[in-house]
Amino acid sequence: MAFRTWRRITWAYYLTFAVAVIWPVQSLVNTPKPFVLGLPFQMVWPAGWILGGLLVLWRLDAARTRHIGAASTGGDE
Amino acid sequence: MDQATLITVVIFVYLAVTLGVGLAAGRRASRSVQGYVAGDRDFGLLVMYFITGATVFSAFAFLGGPGWAYSRGAAAFYILTYGVLGMAPWYAMGPKVAALGRRFGFVTQAQLLVGRFPSRGLSALMAILTLAAFIPYVTIQMRGAGIVIEAVTDGRIPLAVGAAVAYGVVLVYVLTSGVSAVGWTNTFQGVVMLVIAWALGIYLPYHLYGGVGPMFEQILAERPELLSLPGLTGSGEPWSWAGYSTAILASAIGVTMWPHLFMKAYTARSDKIIRRTVILFPTFQIFLIPVFLIGFAGVLFPESPDQADFILPFLVLRSELPALVVGLFCAGALSASMSTGDALLHGAASVVVEDGVQPFRKLSDKAQRLLMRILVVAVGGLAYLFALVEGFSLVDLLLASYGIICQYMPAMVAALYWRRATTAGVVSGLLVGSAVSVFFFLVPELKPLGMHEGILGLIAHVPVLLAVSLRGKPQDDEHVEGFLNV
Repeated sequence: MAFRTWRRITWAYYLTFAVAVIWPVQSLVNTPKPFVLGLPFQMVWPAGWILGGLLVLWRLDAARTRHIGAASTGGDE
Repeated sequence: MDQATLITVVIFVYLAVTLGVGLAAGRRASRSVQGYVAGDRDFGLLVMYFITGATVFSAFAFLGGPGWAYSRGAAAFYILTYGVLGMAPWYAMGPKVAALGRRFGFVTQAQLLVGRFPSRGLSALMAILTLAAFIPYVTIQMRGAGIVIEAVTDGRIPLAVGAAVAYGVVLVYVLTSGVSAVGWTNTFQGVVMLVIAWALGIYLPYHLYGGVGPMFEQILAERPELLSLPGLTGSGEPWSWAGYSTAILASAIGVTMWPHLFMKAYTARSDKIIRRTVILFPTFQIFLIPVFLIGFAGVLFPESPDQADFILPFLVLRSELPALVVGLFCAGALSASMSTGDALLHGAASVVVEDGVQPFRKLSDKAQRLLMRILVVAVGGLAYLFALVEGFSLVDLLLASYGIICQYMPAMVAALYWRRATTAGVVSGLLVGSAVSVFFFLVPELKPLGMHEGILGLIAHVPVLLAVSLRGKPQDDEHVEGFLNV
């Protein structure tokens, strides 16, 4: 997938993340059950978004590296 | 050797290793201001990863985090949530800031802002606001160190002495080696705090309840209010959704704007390292989960500490752990405190000299370094005095500081991305936003819906920045291009 597409996906993901962890969306996900790995669901909810955030940024970076190619510029290694 | 003596020995061994790492790091850096403040722009991925994680996670996370989970329940989840949200924009902003640093020789946040918006008043304002936000933050770290040492040595080393010894070590390596010491000690301390947090976070629920799931089942049965968002306030009343949500937003907006973190963009060897640091940051953030487990483990414990922030050392001392493990726990907590405190002391001194003094009176490279060292001692001394007398919760103090720091974000976004922004607009916005934030911190009963004062400050700040900028004369195109096109 193109770098620009991943950039849009990243923006969309993090905006959704921000909305998902504050009122009113978070108030709809306000139940301790089901426990996941013993943890209450309200704790797993932000943790899931955090790990998803890692994956999205990692994919964005891979797309960026492909986009720029071996001859990187502007202070990159 | 009795338990308290053995613990004391472990603490002193830890402090000696930290000091050794800090002093050894200084031999790598040049003896210039750029070496002292920006580490000669030569930090690799390992150091950048730990300097970012260990600086963000401090005594506030290690002691305040369990304290919140213990006393305020699900309210603590806001601390888990905001870090990655706040760090993500740094993937784009960080390399841009670093490139501008290389292009113009910037080593502080205000230098970048004043480079785009020339104003000595703005530089001085940034220095004053930064110092005002840093003092409570350093105070938190010192109190955290003192609290832990006092608790684990059974009062043989009181808070005042423990904080003085731990921060005496910090002063020596920051004075000697500058940011290089901060980077390498943070790497050592980051490893220690991650290992200790995960080990205790998994051990305590198993030891006290037979597992993480059984612990939460019991809490749900006996204290269900602790497992319902947005949790409780410090006084035990239900927290408001507006308070919870705006605490996340203000903290996310502020997290990369802390000058001691922002300035680390200038220390990275390359832009790629900054991006990789942002990508890996969630692996550090997740360590808050075991930290919260420690706090929740205290909820149904038959005894309770005097203050919620004491819950971690309180449980550790009552869990029949070997003295060596208790000493290592103390090393983890000290790591959390010192790894942030050293960056703050170094950052405060650098900001005051580079932004508060240099624009008004040019100093030689040697004089700047000398003045920075004097200020490291002065700021440390002042924070130490506050650490002995203040009585706020650790997290409450940090939240108050975020109110001021998140006002930097609109100014920084304008500097990096908005062609039409003007000096008058940025200065007006900062003044109004900071004033509103401080007002609502001092008069919390007037806060609408219990919203965070930083967000209320931003609600006033952004329209003022936009309106004053659009009414003023645009900046010279060539000047603006130098900042927007990097």
